[in-house]
Amino acid sequence: MAVDHLSISIEGGEVFGLLGPNGAGKTTTVRMLACLISPSEGSAKVGGHDIATEPMKVRAMVGILTENPSLYERLTVHENMDFFAQAYGLSDAQGRQDRIRELLDFFELWERRNDKVGKLSKGMKQKLAIARTLVHKPSILLLDEPTAGLDPESAKGIRDFVASLSQRDNHTVLLCTHHLEDAERLCDRVMIVNRGRCVIVGTPEELQDRIAGRPKLQVTLKKLDQSLVQVVKEIEHVREVYVDKDAANMVIAVDDLSETTPEIVGRVVRAGGMVLSVNTLRPSLEEAYLKLVRAENS
Amino acid sequence: MRAHMVMLVFRKDWCEIKRNWQIFFPIVVVPFLISVLLPTLIIVTPSLSSISGPPMENSTAMMRNLPSQVRDELVGMNAWQALVYVMSLYFFAPFFLIIPLMASSVIASDSFAGEKERKTIEAILATPISDSELLLGKMLVSFIPSMIVTAASFAIYTTVIDVFSFEIFDGRLLLPNPVWLMLIFGVAPTIALAGIGLTVMISARVKGVREAQQISSILLLPILMLVLGQISGAIFLGPTVVAILIAAFVVVDLIVFYIGLRSFKREEILPRLS
Repeated sequence: MAVDHLSISIEGGEVFGLLGPNGAGKTTTVRMLACLISPSEGSAKVGGHDIATEPMKVRAMVGILTENPSLYERLTVHENMDFFAQAYGLSDAQGRQDRIRELLDFFELWERRNDKVGKLSKGMKQKLAIARTLVHKPSILLLDEPTAGLDPESAKGIRDFVASLSQRDNHTVLLCTHHLEDAERLCDRVMIVNRGRCVIVGTPEELQDRIAGRPKLQVTLKKLDQSLVQVVKEIEHVREVYVDKDAANMVIAVDDLSETTPEIVGRVVRAGGMVLSVNTLRPSLEEAYLKLVRAENS
Repeated sequence: MRAHMVMLVFRKDWCEIKRNWQIFFPIVVVPFLISVLLPTLIIVTPSLSSISGPPMENSTAMMRNLPSQVRDELVGMNAWQALVYVMSLYFFAPFFLIIPLMASSVIASDSFAGEKERKTIEAILATPISDSELLLGKMLVSFIPSMIVTAASFAIYTTVIDVFSFEIFDGRLLLPNPVWLMLIFGVAPTIALAGIGLTVMISARVKGVREAQQISSILLLPILMLVLGQISGAIFLGPTVVAILIAAFVVVDLIVFYIGLRSFKREEILPRLS
């Protein structure tokens, strides 16, 4: 079973990430929500419309970026856009052409409008696929691996654009990815799925805290001696101090980072310590995710 | 159902087909062979061997088994004229039923299976084009080109035959005649529609174009039986047989369309790919 008892509720204007390894059920979930396949059991509403009884309404209001660009390689860039614009009901010819021009200009594809899609680079195809997804100004976007297979520069461009979709245009976005950077950077909330089931859901920060523990404070000094370590250990909310004498730094586990950091720095300075840097050490979402998925699979 | 959506799917697919020589080549070349080369070879070869004498000598099984009404048409002709007459008007007739079926089968096999192979199927299925609009658009793009090719082949064939018959029959033109008009504008469209309906349904269910073509090639069998029937003299495509064929295929078309529209569900296409 690709998806098993998965329950998701996404607020309007939210960027919600579905994060999971290959075969976790992300694409199947997106396909069901886009009315491309039917669930064998259960139900879902997209924009208030039931996917089983009102699929045409759902399709009309959703823009889907599929795992593959799904572009007609023998048609030109403009022919692809024009076909999908009409398919999504943009019947006014002038309005349609204006919208196509706006999107192709934005994605720097207008100069290539008469080129066959087969001649475009992978990054350009992905941009065109996103332009196609947006052609009918959908309020809900389902993006399946938008940066997959792209070079870092193209991936960053796509990531920046997706970030702007929610902030600028208030689109509701369901983002499917196994790139943790995408989830961490773009999503308001993230659901980690594995084997078709929800493992955990929350903001990226919450997931980091809940899975890999709270952030720690790293204080690097010019010279570290035992008296300074003892000063820190005596502070009320400090739970543990890890010392790296060679690097002259302390990694300090505290209950509340924002409350305790000024006190730690102040006490160390007053005790004669010369502070070179103070950093917050936060386990990355990647570490949190790997820890969770490994635990699930074992 | 919205006609402009059907036409939208038609135009998009036609645009792709025009630029795909793997599809375009067979639907142009095979009809050319049937409408130009085959009659030229058959007509020119006997003329080189200088066949003469009464019509029924030097004859094949088909000639020996001619129905009486055809025999009546041959009265007063020499052997060569009779052979050219029977070959031109009767022997080649079933081949012109292969043209629409072959042409439409090549395109119809590509309809959904081609989109699956080229990984474009998800985007089109995600659009608010209804199932019936999608299905009819795909059928139309197989039907219209195949009918154009069939009509063009018939026009070329008529020209080739009349060029020869003008000389052989002292100024008489053999084509077009009512039976052939019924064949081209009655049997060919109905047989093509039945083939297209079945092939598109097959194309929606299989994973690739080759698989769709292999399965749909079975649909050529009844036509090949007609060809063999003609050669053996068992069947003759006279007005009655042609009228029966039209009526039979209209019924088949209605059944195929009914089943096709009822059974086509886009949500079942993607799960079959995995």
